[in-house]
Amino acid sequence: MSIIEVKHLYKEFKIPKRQEGLAGALRSLFHRQYLTKLAVNDISFSIDSGEMVGYIGPNGAGKSTTIKMLTGILVPSSGDIRVNGLIPYKERQRNARQIGVVFGQRSQLWWDLPTIESFELLKQVFQIPADRYRQNMVRFRKILDLDEFLHTPVRQLSLGQRMRADIAAALLHDPKIIFLDEPTIGLDVVAKERMRSFIREINQDRGVTVILTTHDMSDIEKLCQRMILIDNGQVMYDGELAKIKETFGKTRILIVDLEEDIVDFSLAGVEVIKQEGNRHWLKFNRDTITASQLISRISENYNVRDISIQDPEIEVLIRNIYENTLPLIID
Amino acid sequence: MFESCLRGLKFYFYMVGVSIKTQLQYRYAFVMNILGWAMTYAGTAITMWVMLYSFQTIRGWMFWELLFLFGLSVLSWSICIIFFFHFRNMDEYIVEGTFDRFLVRPIHPFLHVVALKFDVGAFGQLLFSIVALIIAYVQLGLNWQFSQWLIFLGAVIGGTLIQGGMLVLISGVAFWTTRSERLFWTLMWPAKNLMNYPLTIFPRVIQLLVTFVLPFAFVNFLPALLLLGKTKESFAPYWGFFTLPVGIIFFTICLKFWTIGLNHYKSAGS
Repeated sequence: MSIIEVKHLYKEFKIPKRQEGLAGALRSLFHRQYLTKLAVNDISFSIDSGEMVGYIGPNGAGKSTTIKMLTGILVPSSGDIRVNGLIPYKERQRNARQIGVVFGQRSQLWWDLPTIESFELLKQVFQIPADRYRQNMVRFRKILDLDEFLHTPVRQLSLGQRMRADIAAALLHDPKIIFLDEPTIGLDVVAKERMRSFIREINQDRGVTVILTTHDMSDIEKLCQRMILIDNGQVMYDGELAKIKETFGKTRILIVDLEEDIVDFSLAGVEVIKQEGNRHWLKFNRDTITASQLISRISENYNVRDISIQDPEIEVLIRNIYENTLPLIID
Repeated sequence: MFESCLRGLKFYFYMVGVSIKTQLQYRYAFVMNILGWAMTYAGTAITMWVMLYSFQTIRGWMFWELLFLFGLSVLSWSICIIFFFHFRNMDEYIVEGTFDRFLVRPIHPFLHVVALKFDVGAFGQLLFSIVALIIAYVQLGLNWQFSQWLIFLGAVIGGTLIQGGMLVLISGVAFWTTRSERLFWTLMWPAKNLMNYPLTIFPRVIQLLVTFVLPFAFVNFLPALLLLGKTKESFAPYWGFFTLPVGIIFFTICLKFWTIGLNHYKSAGS
């Protein structure tokens, strides 16, 4: 059953056009011209209860704008949104009770308060029943190791600590859905791993629907079965992560160190994409030529010192998709 | 409904406690803030006195009457500061993204903004205004009946709502323009200075403007006419009765404007 329903969603922003020079600045004081930017351009998708979805795209693709409309922060220009049956911007306060939000860049907590007081305050704001609050706190303190900084004011927390506090705060009132906007940004490897395992746990144990935006593809790889990829305000891909790998992972890269330069290497399906000294990066398509064929062809013609094959990284795949800027239909 | 109001109030008072605690953390700044404001206003009062020393009266207002007029406006302004002064920073809350989080909580965002600060620094002005009013009361030999005390109370509450409404109105502009603090300084300060003097010394246009459009005249001038029994003015004294209803209506309109603005909120950044 779908818990989030988005249909033909649009959001446009009017941006005042800057005019050059002093004369331009004066002119725009009286006569201002606007550029209309479509941040979200006809997006539709639906998410089932209990799903964990990666919502990704480059900067300015419209990720945050979508999340902000789903959480009720922004009012859409047009289109339909239903979050567990509610229209978020019309029923902000009711919607707030069923969702949890973490913005990686900004804390949801009270800056000057000790962390525990922020929690107490949220308990009051969300009217969390006392026993529920106690159970959640016991659990979060254990999994997220909150005890080490529970009495420290939020402004003095390290980024990793703050993020842990923030995610605990977002889950205190047992939301059905949680929006995580870059929850691992700026975290070190250990902290990232910890955050991921926590997200996985709340999804599996509590059936919380998770919508996650991130720039870190390994977040997606480790957490999400499904990925919605957007660019320029449009959905480029919506489906399983495995499928995208299969379809776009056909090209691989062979790295060879040779004794000499490649003078002219023309072979169907192979392309020299980079060269540093004697090290060469060859992109090849699995369908046209196998790795062993390629290697034997190279060693026939050149003296090979070293050789390695790079697996397609999801990040590279995604970049390829953006660069081609084609909407992809895969089934 | 009642239950949600109660929850809102509980939240508000808790946040007031937090805000006071935070401000008390910086003790030196706290004391200087209170002292500084008291001194600033005392300075203005002294300037008035010097002026009146050579002119004797301004349009039939003598110094003690002016002090009353001034004290009344500072009194409601200082109460207004305690609750609403931080609305002038609305654009900052928007630009820094603080405002976003108010929209994902089951409490009205307006209450969230009100609860952000309880400005203890305003006690300096409050202190000054009470002292000034007492001195003026004694010097003018006033002896109010209960009904006049009610009018005074209405003037203080209504005046707070009118000026608070202005702050809310200006802050609401930020939903469209993202910038609003300038507007505060260009609109609010001149109006505040205007209120230090009898309205009748200003051109007719301004008199009409601050009576019917942005009702600053109801904050201190009109109630002062009534309370000081000044009948030889171009305004009939009974205008002074209306400060409280005008305040309530004006504040409601401003709040409505603010909530409309909310739908135009363009959250900043990503």
